[in-house]
Amino acid sequence: MRFFSFFLVLAIALALALAVSMPIGQIPPLAPLLDPNHGFWQNTLSEDELAVEEVDLENLSAPVQVTYDQNLIPHIFAENEADLYRAQGYVTAQHRLWQMEFQTMAAAGRVSEIVGPIALDLDRMTRRKGLAYGAELGLKYLQESDSETLALIEAYADGVNQYIAQLSDARLPVEYKILNYRPEPWSAFKTLLLLKYMSDMLVGDRDLEFSNLRKILGEAKLNRLFPQFPAANDPIIESGKVWDFEPLPVSKPDSVDYPTDAILIEPLPQPEEGTGSNNWAVAGKKTKNGNPILANDPHLSLNLPSLWYAMQLSTPSNSVKGATLPGALGVISGFNQDIAWGVTNATRDTRDWYRITFQDKSRKAYRYGNGWKDTEFRLEQIKVKGQATFVDTVVYTHYGPIVYDRSFKTERQDVDFALKWTVHQGSNEQKTFLLMNKARNHSDYNRALDHYTAPAQNFVFASRSGDIAMRIQGKFPLKWPGQGKFLMDGADPRMEWQGYIPNAQNAATLNPERGFVSSANQHPTDSTYPYYVFDNTYEHYRNRRLNNRLREMDQITVEDMKELQFDDYNLQAAEALPVLISLLGTHKADSPEADKYLKELKSWDFFADPNQKGQTLYSIWSSETFESIWRELSGARAPVVRPSSYQTVELLAKYPRDSVFDVKSVEGVETAEYHVKAGFDSLLVAMAKWEAEEGDYAWTNYKKTTIQHLVPTFKSFSATNVYTGGGSGILNATGSRHGASWRMVVELGSQMEAFGVYPGGQSGNPGSKYYGNFIPVWAKGEYLDFGLRTQGSSEAVLFTTVLK
Amino acid sequence: MRFIFLTILVAILVVFLNPVAPYWVVMIGIAVLGALIAPNGFGGFMGGGLGMGLTWLGQCIYLAINTNSPLPDRMGELMGLGSGMTLVAVTAVLGFLLGAFSGWAGVLFRNLLQHTPENVYRG
Repeated sequence: MRFFSFFLVLAIALALALAVSMPIGQIPPLAPLLDPNHGFWQNTLSEDELAVEEVDLENLSAPVQVTYDQNLIPHIFAENEADLYRAQGYVTAQHRLWQMEFQTMAAAGRVSEIVGPIALDLDRMTRRKGLAYGAELGLKYLQESDSETLALIEAYADGVNQYIAQLSDARLPVEYKILNYRPEPWSAFKTLLLLKYMSDMLVGDRDLEFSNLRKILGEAKLNRLFPQFPAANDPIIESGKVWDFEPLPVSKPDSVDYPTDAILIEPLPQPEEGTGSNNWAVAGKKTKNGNPILANDPHLSLNLPSLWYAMQLSTPSNSVKGATLPGALGVISGFNQDIAWGVTNATRDTRDWYRITFQDKSRKAYRYGNGWKDTEFRLEQIKVKGQATFVDTVVYTHYGPIVYDRSFKTERQDVDFALKWTVHQGSNEQKTFLLMNKARNHSDYNRALDHYTAPAQNFVFASRSGDIAMRIQGKFPLKWPGQGKFLMDGADPRMEWQGYIPNAQNAATLNPERGFVSSANQHPTDSTYPYYVFDNTYEHYRNRRLNNRLREMDQITVEDMKELQFDDYNLQAAEALPVLISLLGTHKADSPEADKYLKELKSWDFFADPNQKGQTLYSIWSSETFESIWRELSGARAPVVRPSSYQTVELLAKYPRDSVFDVKSVEGVETAEYHVKAGFDSLLVAMAKWEAEEGDYAWTNYKKTTIQHLVPTFKSFSATNVYTGGGSGILNATGSRHGASWRMVVELGSQMEAFGVYPGGQSGNPGSKYYGNFIPVWAKGEYLDFGLRTQGSSEAVLFTTVLK
Repeated sequence: MRFIFLTILVAILVVFLNPVAPYWVVMIGIAVLGALIAPNGFGGFMGGGLGMGLTWLGQCIYLAINTNSPLPDRMGELMGLGSGMTLVAVTAVLGFLLGAFSGWAGVLFRNLLQHTPENVYRG
């Protein structure tokens, strides 16, 4: 009996201990998660409550001091660069380890390892796009030609790894506890992968959609709906710029046979609409204090933990401060004692598709010219949580990987499309930032940029000595007009890129007469630039608003620049709404609701402030109208892309009786009025529903700005319904899921004055008080003081740690 | 008395051992304490359970109040349990169960070894 009772109770105790140590479905092991000494309860502690005075960090040549200011922004003081970046790795990992690793897992196509088969298609797509392949080539490039940079990247990795080695269960980021896995070692490869991840986030193409459109509309109509330059082009490099170089010749084949079959496959995911950025610099002659002022606000997905992490990095000879990317070395957008710089995405078509014709089913060779070229096979081993490893065979051509083939996303068609992309070429973006961080003047800035390939960026620059500059930098293929807009025949060698635009001939400007430089993702230049620079997503509104304001402003102060970053003026509405109202005529004049909404629209000042109702009404009415206009086009069996809002408004305003407005499925001949009225009817329906369900339709309530945790299902880790204005096409580009991910304004006087903020917080821990503490500041358009600190300064110090 | 003594010792064990050891090592420790102190079975169950359960409860509440962190509520919502208070209760109950069965098993193990004389003429 005693034996029996002992073994029974022992069995219960063991079974219990075992049950709470194992995951049940998606539920993580309960005891490690709930144990107050190791589980998530430990993540309730904020960083200041865990502060220590000293930390052991091996391989340093001298002690490194890290001073955290009251916002938990670390200021690292090291004796040399190797120590500095080792410390940067360690400190960043302390606050952002899970995010760094998760982002690189995503870039490597390894999400299935963490979340299971649900992410398998995503991972296959990522791998077929060749991001990891590109990072491998980048690493090879560093090993062969830049061991100095590689050594620094490895020092950073060592810093991260020493943190991981010291990491106790209690300090493990809570996401690991919930998802039940542990961090693996960091490596130089992962840093490169992160930079590829940025390319993937920022670069798109519409080749397949344009190929379909060309077939549906014909070349003439296509060019009319998608002109190469808009009527009101206000480019990045000021119009009238003289190009003082001899351009490389580009020969266009006499006749081009584009593949003409409709392409039914689902195109690659594109960068989200609203992804973009603003940057500008004004010369001393336009500012109150006579100093240049530089501003930058990159617009990206609004996520927690934030993509950005603020830091100051100091050695005895240099101090740089600004926004870093966890996982990459140095500051990405920031300033030092002498210069400031910032980035916006230079959207340009650097991704092209080639149709491949295989010799036979073995896919070992494909047609090229009069002969055959050999392929290579890359076996992608995708580990899947809870399942066997999935092996995906990706065929590589000399163009690049075959993304779509018989085994992936082409169920309805037997096609093989290879992707050629600048990301698949050995490159050294990290070097650009290492050099930029310590640049002293305009020529240092140019030298730094010469190493930069992708994702192409508009680099704004200002120096204390009074220079302002802009350079559009990336590795841009040399193309004949129209090349790469459509799917090309990979068997035809005449379809090859004919080289690259030399760095010295990339569009750039220094101290232009107008006293400012600016970019907002619009066309890089006017039509006089001697190279073909096509992209489908050039901006048409933010750029004009920005340049209009900068042209008319004078005696500019830092406060003015902050206000401009937070400017909610909706230029599209200002141009389109009068057209919509006039085309609407007296439609629905007898409806009291219609009357109410129209009155609100007519009295609206075109500012998309959070309390504005006009912005909500305009946003619905315009999008419903555009939807009605292009419904037949979008309804085609093959995927297509719609003409831009700018082009649509142009047509509405100037050619309301154009044949594009005719709806074939409706009898008679429709004009613009038909669509404007249909859009208004949809507005009434949508508003009736909204008012019944939600009530208030002030803009902020309607757009519901959400800063979402990187795991979308972790809803309670996100910040929802943030009260703030702005929207797509507006300088304050804050929509519902995208917007200013970082705002910075720097005045380059005898002392650098700098202000910055981002929608998040320094800590990646959802339990910390520093997780989202910048969000209210950011939402109100306010800033944190980002001035450079000296090592001895004791003002507003949260705590100091010495690494040795 | 032994039950109270066990409760206190288990609490001390959890406070000092748990920060450096996972929960299953603590369970073994509680079983050992149960065997050494040897209250009756019920006392072992309640002593181990209350010692660990109350300590975990106290530790959660201490962390939640001291840090004023939103995490317990966020975790509660994420796990579909509503508020952080529910999680405090769940943690305490889990601690109780782990401690209770460990303590009881320890007591029963002691009983197993203790040689109770049998077939002895007691006069």
